[in-house]
Amino acid sequence: MTDITADRPVRTSVTFVRAKGSDVSAVGEPFIWGMGGALAFGVIMILGFLALVIINGLVTFWPKPLEEVRLSDGRSFVGEPVRVETYRPSPDQLSKLSDEVKAKILSDGGFANRSLYRIGNFDFYNNDFQWVADFEVAGRSKPADLYLVERQEWGVFIGKITAVRAGDESLENPTYNQINAHFDEARSLRAERARIERVEIGEINHRLNAGRLEIRRAVLDAGGDENAPSVRRITDKVAAERVDLDRRFQEAGQKVNDVRARDGRFSVSLTEVGGQTKTLPLSSLVRFYQPNKLGPGESLAIYGSRWLEFIIAEPREANTEGGVMPAIFGTLVMTIVMSLIVAPFGVITALYLREYAKQGTIVSIVRISVNNLAGVPSIVYGVFGLGFFAYILGGNIDALFFPERLPNPTYGTGGVLWSALTLALLTVPVVIVATEEALASVPRSMREGSLACGASKWQTIKWIVLPRAAPGIMTGLILAMARGAGEVAPLMLVGVVKLAPELPIDFTFPYVHLERSFMHLGFHIYDVAFQSRNSEAGRPMVYVTTLILIGVVLVLNVFAIQVRARLKKRFQGSQF
Amino acid sequence: MASPALKPQPVSPLEFDPTIYHITEGQNGTQLNIDDFCLWYGATQALHNNTLKIERGLVTALIGPSGCGKSTLLRSLNRMNDLIDGLRVSGSITLDGEPLFGPQVDVIALRKRMGMVFQKPNPFPMSIAENVTYPLKIDGVTDRKILAEATEAALRGAALWDEVKDRLDQSALGMSGGQQQRLCIARAIAANPDVLLMDEPCSALDPIATLKIEELIDELRGSYTIVIVTHNMQQAARISDNTAFMYLGRLIEYGATETMFTNPKGRRTEEYITGRFG
Repeated sequence: MTDITADRPVRTSVTFVRAKGSDVSAVGEPFIWGMGGALAFGVIMILGFLALVIINGLVTFWPKPLEEVRLSDGRSFVGEPVRVETYRPSPDQLSKLSDEVKAKILSDGGFANRSLYRIGNFDFYNNDFQWVADFEVAGRSKPADLYLVERQEWGVFIGKITAVRAGDESLENPTYNQINAHFDEARSLRAERARIERVEIGEINHRLNAGRLEIRRAVLDAGGDENAPSVRRITDKVAAERVDLDRRFQEAGQKVNDVRARDGRFSVSLTEVGGQTKTLPLSSLVRFYQPNKLGPGESLAIYGSRWLEFIIAEPREANTEGGVMPAIFGTLVMTIVMSLIVAPFGVITALYLREYAKQGTIVSIVRISVNNLAGVPSIVYGVFGLGFFAYILGGNIDALFFPERLPNPTYGTGGVLWSALTLALLTVPVVIVATEEALASVPRSMREGSLACGASKWQTIKWIVLPRAAPGIMTGLILAMARGAGEVAPLMLVGVVKLAPELPIDFTFPYVHLERSFMHLGFHIYDVAFQSRNSEAGRPMVYVTTLILIGVVLVLNVFAIQVRARLKKRFQGSQF
Repeated sequence: MASPALKPQPVSPLEFDPTIYHITEGQNGTQLNIDDFCLWYGATQALHNNTLKIERGLVTALIGPSGCGKSTLLRSLNRMNDLIDGLRVSGSITLDGEPLFGPQVDVIALRKRMGMVFQKPNPFPMSIAENVTYPLKIDGVTDRKILAEATEAALRGAALWDEVKDRLDQSALGMSGGQQQRLCIARAIAANPDVLLMDEPCSALDPIATLKIEELIDELRGSYTIVIVTHNMQQAARISDNTAFMYLGRLIEYGATETMFTNPKGRRTEEYITGRFG
């Protein structure tokens, strides 16, 4: 061995202090900053969006104070301040102003502030909202005796409650407690009336219709002969039932009239600030309070009751008021049915592709096609779903099983089932890809161990491969559910409606009605934002509904993630 | 250190001498008869004309350098190689006179007679008891009493019963590596096979776990015909009755273990055993 250090020169210069202007790719940090920055940007965007939705959604139902605004021209109005913005008054407007005001505006660069007030009383003013420029305002005050009244119809009323009547007893300028004393009774009468109309009369109508369909069915079975003995028998039976049903119908109608008469004894007179008065049944009020008198506890109670109503009640006023319960329910049912369809289809397809099919050109083409399916615009699925599922499949089901109901479609039009199938088609690539990945990640040693025990391929898949791949499959299902729950465009063609009076699952036989059209939170957002009478009125509801939709997707995902965590713990355990 | 000059030169097939045989014969005759067996992966020939008899009830070790085909030969015995595309074989292997290859062979029934233990312990993601009774589950046995008896018998057979009898329903994935490997042996025994195939069963284990497996193999001798592939020549010398030395897909020498390690007949065997190559 020679001494290798002997002839080597000793380094004297500094060689590993970074020189200024050295190549950035050698240094590396800028790339880390770049990646971190991109991540931060993405996170900030998402958090910002969530914050926007959550903040706006949460403040919507908080009771806001009422302001009385006196204008310089002597008029006045009352409203809930919504927001303030800066605008540029038109030259036309400016020319009508006094020189002093004009000079002030011009000195601000031609800009002025204006406030938006929710004035309600659509039945008096034909308008829910009013803009008022600051220079028009002579004074603002917060009178304590003003009421904000949410009504069953015509939106909110803002003004005074000048009289309340209960039977013969009449009170002028009643206090809040005096009105409230009768309010619960009146509301319960209204609820009772709605219950009789919906449940009792609904059931009678359902049975009358069933009888009619039975006769039609018998006629069709008899080849169109209305006098066939079999038809006669059915007709007689239905006629006998009909007598009873007619009698019950009369009774129910009488009951409704009784309740209505009792309800009619309660009425209330509302007077807006301009002096116009309207008298309406007390029961047509949903909620009333004096915003400027509320303490924090009362505000919280109103806030809570509004949320409760939003979640458990049906919508009113073209969806801009009331609740979204049918939409929440419809979204949940549709997403769950979709998952039930997409999971087996996706898993079976992936199993065949990964485990059984001979890997080659054809399988590659199939795989690429499946992946490309995920990129097809969703509206195309909607058109396909309408044409194939609703019209062809549903039409044939109707012709085969429900001929007596034609020309009214049963399955031959949009419904929960067709929506779920359409979305299943849309999301199946996600499940297939995730399942294939999960199957590929099952260690070869597991399969070999099973096969060496004498298990067949199917036994190995069933007992070893699928349980082991289950968490990965769940991941695919979670992604599919999130995608499906948020999809709206195809649903507009295959079953979503603005207002569905009947839920897809209820208490009438056969309990699950997948042929019915349904409401969906995503569509509800679109409807409230763009299809309602007044977009300004719908705006808070858009935020709240979005919040609920995000919440529903979150709940479904958390549930699925819990299931996945359990599967993981059970089947993957500690890796070796 | 071996100098480069001593490394084996590439050789043509013709340069191989015929296999040298000097095996210890068991008292119960031959279990597996491998006759002129050749195997190809696509165009590559992995096994060349292997001919050997594996004695019933004895432990037979397959040794040789990496890539010599010993695992391929072992995996041909229970036809695990079937999973590979483009596999071809010629020659024959018989188990008690029944051919293993052929259109009429039920591979699943065959594998039930050939328990296999792999290089890495591969317990299934189930409880310990479910792992052991997996072969019975395949056969559709659901009677709890039979399953419980089979579990105990197999775990005792694999010298694991005392360690796990109190946690049979816990996940097998929580056991140590050595316990997992003995569990895999128990699982193989539970199917009541004739032959146990072991593919380097100790290579992923520490010395103490290895020792336990070797003791277990010694206990199983006689009850099962054991074929074990190993890289560890000391292990082969300790536990086997007969040793087959393979090189480049050929069977070089197949004989009684004692003779193989003290007085090998073949030149290449001697070189390998003395550590000149491999």
